Amino acid sequence: MLVTSEKPTSVGTRRAISALPWVTTVSRLVLAGVLIAAGWQKIGTPVLSVQAVEAYELLPESLAKVVGYGLPILEIVVGVLLVVGLLTRVAGMISMLLMLAFVIGIASAWARGLRIDCGCFGGGGQLKAGAEPDYLLTILRDAGLFALGVVVAWFPPGRLALDSALGLTPGREVYDAEGDEEEPHVKENR
Amino acid sequence: MGKAARDQSVRDRIKAQREEERRRERLRRIVTIVAAAVVTFGVIGAGWWFAAQGSKPEESTGALAPISVAADGSVVMARPGVNKPVLEVYEDFQCPACRALEETSGSTIKNLATEGKAKVVYHPITIFPEDMNKGVTRGNSLRAGAAARCIPGGAPWSRFHDQLFRKQPAENTPGFSLEDLVAWGRDAGVTDPGFERCVTGQEKAQAHLAASARVLDQAKLKGTPTLKLDGKEVDNEVAFRPAELRQEVVDAAK
Repeated sequence: MLVTSEKPTSVGTRRAISALPWVTTVSRLVLAGVLIAAGWQKIGTPVLSVQAVEAYELLPESLAKVVGYGLPILEIVVGVLLVVGLLTRVAGMISMLLMLAFVIGIASAWARGLRIDCGCFGGGGQLKAGAEPDYLLTILRDAGLFALGVVVAWFPPGRLALDSALGLTPGREVYDAEGDEEEPHVKENR
Repeated sequence: MGKAARDQSVRDRIKAQREEERRRERLRRIVTIVAAAVVTFGVIGAGWWFAAQGSKPEESTGALAPISVAADGSVVMARPGVNKPVLEVYEDFQCPACRALEETSGSTIKNLATEGKAKVVYHPITIFPEDMNKGVTRGNSLRAGAAARCIPGGAPWSRFHDQLFRKQPAENTPGFSLEDLVAWGRDAGVTDPGFERCVTGQEKAQAHLAASARVLDQAKLKGTPTLKLDGKEVDNEVAFRPAELRQEVVDAAK
């Protein structure tokens, strides 16, 4: 990883590279904030959260129950992992998959002409009387969050991450894949 | 030993040392990752368990407090002399979240009335507008609500009420057919010979709509289901957690 000097160098590219860790950090925090808020508002009423899942009419009842009970706590835990930067890449991938699933679910509800509340931040999936579903906005929001998930999963955990503190990301080889640690350095003395 | 050979052996040693270091480092990473993953799964499991526990319904005692229909069409379930706290239930027989409330806290609400810990007042209403699902949802709700008003209280009313939620159709498919409603009434123990005509003729439909409009206006509902305890709306976090709902009602009695 590049040593970030106190005064940013004038070279544009270098500045961009040294800003990258902060980009991932901010992505992590934004994604985490949304996940934790969403999970927190649902976890108190898992029964309603099951209702919201059933409102999509995509999953059989038993599976809807599992998702309804499991999703809020999963969102919170993944959110916390993202905040502290632990198992960051896995957490990023899970967030990606979650957002992808949400986009698919909402798009399919839209396509089938269902009129439901997304239930994203609690509630039983029923629209309030007279309310119109705003599918497009929800899809755009989740697509944006998906993109943040990609950033988190793709790049190293960035600043303020437990992963780095615990040495879970090998300092110098951050851009290396996990498996190929055998070859580098061997011939460096020649 | 030539210089080249010595260099070679030193290089080998360094290489081996490095290899060893790297292996240890790798092991430490794996252990840390596994530990973190185990803790993560543990927390997810605990949260799941907690959520499931918190929404577990109470056993129903089976016994019911006396049920009567008040002048305004609401249904009162209370032991004689129990006037407070008042727990009001605003619900629509076609609303899925109301069914969820019934399944979760319905037995608690009945038990509280049976134990004399609360005066329960049901307000069955129709909340769905005509333009939703081409009127299917509203039609379902209206038939069920009107049929319930054909029962003048008593245990049959409660059994019919429960049956309606058990048989709740999907919001976009026609259900609660008049024949079914009549049959369920008989199953619930309605013996009044006028019941069938009252249901099939939808004799209480106008009364039901009028009551719904009045209740919606007066109670300032945000939606159904809504529980009110002595006129104050109960949070969903409490309403959908039987133990907490019970506690709140018991506390209100003090």
